[in-house]
Amino acid sequence: MKKENMKFEDKIKLLEKTINELESGEVDLEESIKKYTEAMKLVQACDKQLKEIEEQVSKIVLEDGTEQDFSIEREDNSLD
Amino acid sequence: MFVFWYNEYGDVMDISKYLTVGALTRYLKMKFDSDTHLRKVYLKGEISNFKAHSTGHFYFSIKDETSKINAIMFASNARKLPFMPKDGMKILVVGRVSVYEATGNYQIYVEDMIEDGVGNLYVAFEQLKEKLSKEGLFDPKFKKPIPKYPERIGIITAPTGAAIRDILSTIKRRYPICETILFPSLVQGDLAKDDLVKKIEMAQNYDLDVLIVGRGGGSLEDMWPFNEECVARAIFASNVPVISAVGHEVDYTISDFVSDLRAPTPTGAAEMAVPNVTDLQEQLLQYQARMKEAMHKIVNYQKIYFESLKTSYVLKNPNAIYEPKKQQLDLTYEKLRTIILNNLEHSKNNFLILKQSSILKNPTRLYEPAIQNLKHVIEKLEMLNPLSVLGRGYTITYQDDHLVKNIEDVKVGNQLQVRMENGIITTNVLDKKGL
Repeated sequence: MKKENMKFEDKIKLLEKTINELESGEVDLEESIKKYTEAMKLVQACDKQLKEIEEQVSKIVLEDGTEQDFSIEREDNSLD
Repeated sequence: MFVFWYNEYGDVMDISKYLTVGALTRYLKMKFDSDTHLRKVYLKGEISNFKAHSTGHFYFSIKDETSKINAIMFASNARKLPFMPKDGMKILVVGRVSVYEATGNYQIYVEDMIEDGVGNLYVAFEQLKEKLSKEGLFDPKFKKPIPKYPERIGIITAPTGAAIRDILSTIKRRYPICETILFPSLVQGDLAKDDLVKKIEMAQNYDLDVLIVGRGGGSLEDMWPFNEECVARAIFASNVPVISAVGHEVDYTISDFVSDLRAPTPTGAAEMAVPNVTDLQEQLLQYQARMKEAMHKIVNYQKIYFESLKTSYVLKNPNAIYEPKKQQLDLTYEKLRTIILNNLEHSKNNFLILKQSSILKNPTRLYEPAIQNLKHVIEKLEMLNPLSVLGRGYTITYQDDHLVKNIEDVKVGNQLQVRMENGIITTNVLDKKGL
């Protein structure tokens, strides 16, 4: 799977794994530089993903199975 | 000035007959408390002026069409209530009636309270809970983990009201990258249970990471659909992890027990369903710091290792590599030299010994006996030499190199050679005569 297409959770998991490997000190220098570079790219990708968040539009699934955009009306406050 | 009180008959009043308010109140309280009927009163009515004090005590009134009584429920009992009382709620209470001296009011000290008309529901609730529990539907081993970073969340609740608004606003605030799909459902009334089941089943086809099922607060009857067996079984059968969020913190439903995670409120459910972006960013920073630290350690370690190699004795003193060999070579050479010299000396000595031997000094000793022996042999041969007899006057006669031993061998007139000791005479046979 290409890293760009990985789920956020998988990216975080890979990051944790890589960091643990680096912290174990059992990786040789060349390998650790490679891993470090990859992990840094992952961190940046995750960070970018979080910063450039495009707010997802909520959907509503109607009785007939069709989907529509859905948003809470402010006026709903008065219903309480 | 002295003041006298008179009664309507003009008599001076006897002050000692008058009670203090406290005394009267204590008397009334004693009357209440000694009445066994008032020690355990079963009362039904409707709640009004409900106040939950910060100490945990509930203060309220219970009223019906004609009357009203103050009520207090101490925190120790109030805590155990599975629902939150509110004004207008019809209730059944058990408690004792007594007087509160400070106000002089009599009131009911409520020990237990249930919603009127829902007594049967409680029984049904307990029975279903026990049944499903025995079947293992609440077993922790069936609880699915809630993914940490969901990408798509399903919500089953009413499309209007506080619950959906709280859930959506919480998700948008914490983790706006997450998709939310609402499956609008009835959440109270007779039709709600079937609608909930239908929506839970429907939600299975939407590739959801987690499903929030719930509603806002309400009476036990309002929340009853979440205590229905079919709803519990639909939640149990869900392949998507379910977070239940029904009513308030104090409200427990069968759905809460059977779901993978129970949230105290709809807002709580949203908080449990998604991480917080700012927490995540903080976490990423920590990752970065840890990686740098780890990398720093690795590089440092390599540096130190390299330094230790660089300054190692062998690299600093390269002659140390061959010095011992050289020494060994010297030693071997020395040993070899000694051996050779020793051998030489030995040979020299041997030679000297040989040189000084009597044989070499007097070599004739080696062949003197042979010479003597030879002389002896020669003498012996001399004695056997036929020619030697010639010296004594004997001769040897030859005819043409043949030895003449018989007179028959020669004829008169033949020429013969006569060998003497010191020469040869040639002669002719003049005559012959046998002897």
